[in-house]
Amino acid sequence: MNPPPAWEEIERLYHEALELPVCERKALLARASPALREEVESLLEADSNAELLAAPPTHVAADLLDGQPGGLAAGQRVADYEVESLISIGGMGEVYLARDAAGRPVALKILRSHLIGNAQAVDRFETEARAASALCHPNIVTVYESGKSPAGLFIAMEWVDGSTFRAIMDAGPVEIAQAMNWGGQAARALSAAHTAGILHRDMKPENIMLRKDGVVKILDFGLARHGGAVGPERNSMGASGTISGTLSGTLLYMPPEILRGETATSASDVFSLGAFLYELTAGQHPFAGETPLDVFEAIECRTVAAIGSLRNGVPREVDRLILRMLDRSPDGRPSASEACEMLGGAGQ
Amino acid sequence: MTANVTDLKPAVCILDWNVSETNPQGEVTRLLAAWSSGDQSALNKMMPLVYAELHRIARRAWSQHPHSNTLQPTALINEAYLKLANAENASFQDRCHFFAVASKAMRQILVNHAKSRLSGKRGRGLANVSLDDVQPAVHQEAAEIVALHEALEALHNVDPRKSMVVEMRYFGGLGIEEIAEAMGVSVATVNRDWRLARSWLIREMKRESP
Repeated sequence: MNPPPAWEEIERLYHEALELPVCERKALLARASPALREEVESLLEADSNAELLAAPPTHVAADLLDGQPGGLAAGQRVADYEVESLISIGGMGEVYLARDAAGRPVALKILRSHLIGNAQAVDRFETEARAASALCHPNIVTVYESGKSPAGLFIAMEWVDGSTFRAIMDAGPVEIAQAMNWGGQAARALSAAHTAGILHRDMKPENIMLRKDGVVKILDFGLARHGGAVGPERNSMGASGTISGTLSGTLLYMPPEILRGETATSASDVFSLGAFLYELTAGQHPFAGETPLDVFEAIECRTVAAIGSLRNGVPREVDRLILRMLDRSPDGRPSASEACEMLGGAGQ
Repeated sequence: MTANVTDLKPAVCILDWNVSETNPQGEVTRLLAAWSSGDQSALNKMMPLVYAELHRIARRAWSQHPHSNTLQPTALINEAYLKLANAENASFQDRCHFFAVASKAMRQILVNHAKSRLSGKRGRGLANVSLDDVQPAVHQEAAEIVALHEALEALHNVDPRKSMVVEMRYFGGLGIEEIAEAMGVSVATVNRDWRLARSWLIREMKRESP
């Protein structure tokens, strides 16, 4: 067995190769041992792709500062809205509870000013505003208005007095009948969006809310079609030189075709909804894993156990429906409207 | 005498808060001089002072410019330098040494922050709109910083000088010449180190993130 090549050897050959025109490198490397050649070839390949480290980590530095609460003060005006309090801070910006001219509550989402120079972030923000305002459905959060103000880009939307399903599931198991009703409402919203030709692309419990009166509301429609946020890119270096995907929380709800880098379709949304419904009814996630890699593998290979094997009281047709929604093949999944019908999703 | 910066231990291990904090400016100036004359431990004593100062500056910058959109880690380090070191008497070499330490402190601050962000610290549970999940521009960068940090640790085991070059250039925003001065090597060496280190890190990070 040959010892692995010494670091000094790798370093010398790497620099020697870099000095040659690309077409002559092959001949140089051919003279090296196979192990050394492989090392240097893989380094040269990485070099040709070196956008990483091109710019300082400005976003995170700025975020560190912005992490201090409160960009806008109570009483401050954004277009016709008066800010009341800060609700949440995220990577893109802040969400405030605000009042419109008539004193009604609205959720005001502001794109962080340091991201306004980031074309992709602006594009995505505007796509969201456009997609959501094209949808008018009782189970989809209504966008009232979007625009520019000195404080940044903003979207004014329906205020939902309630909590996300992430918080609800964290609080403990839910009743089966309840889960079916909520699932039916979510499926109904998705079906309406699909009929309008709009995909959600990021269905997950963090994006689905339950209003105090029992109405389910879906948030954050129409994510951007490019960039690494929806699915991990084939090439793990995104256009901006960032490592995309695997660490963002959305992985658990990503269908296998997205993991493979294929384009999202309405069936992809159905899969994500199915993963959520499974979690809601079974009380555990179908693809839970210790690491992102485990989750990848589970989504691609794991045979999902029937919910009936984990919990009593789930009607067999519902169990089957949810497993079909999780079919690895998009063609094997029901449509959102079919799911809605089977869940008895009149949305009472 | 050129001190060997690669002997610096990671900040997490050496945050020694017992260092006198009464007069950080005098202390840092003294430590810089001690380091230049060969006292290796001076660097590690300087670290917590620089770390704390960078944090203070970051917090104050926020309160003064809530929507600053040109926040560069280098700008923060520069300010810390003006505050901590006696700039009038300091040599170019002192300044480069300070930046080497500050780069390490900045790396630690950004990595800690990125980690806490990725662990999903979300504040209150009544979020109307889950912005955290909307466009993770920051999330993505945070993930990249953590991945890079881990890859840098691995590179440190193979070739400590190269990992140091990346740390100073990426986290500290230092120029090639300043890095060469701080490390006591030629500009050509820094250029070559940077090129190979970058390829090595990219390859490493791809392996870790299929």
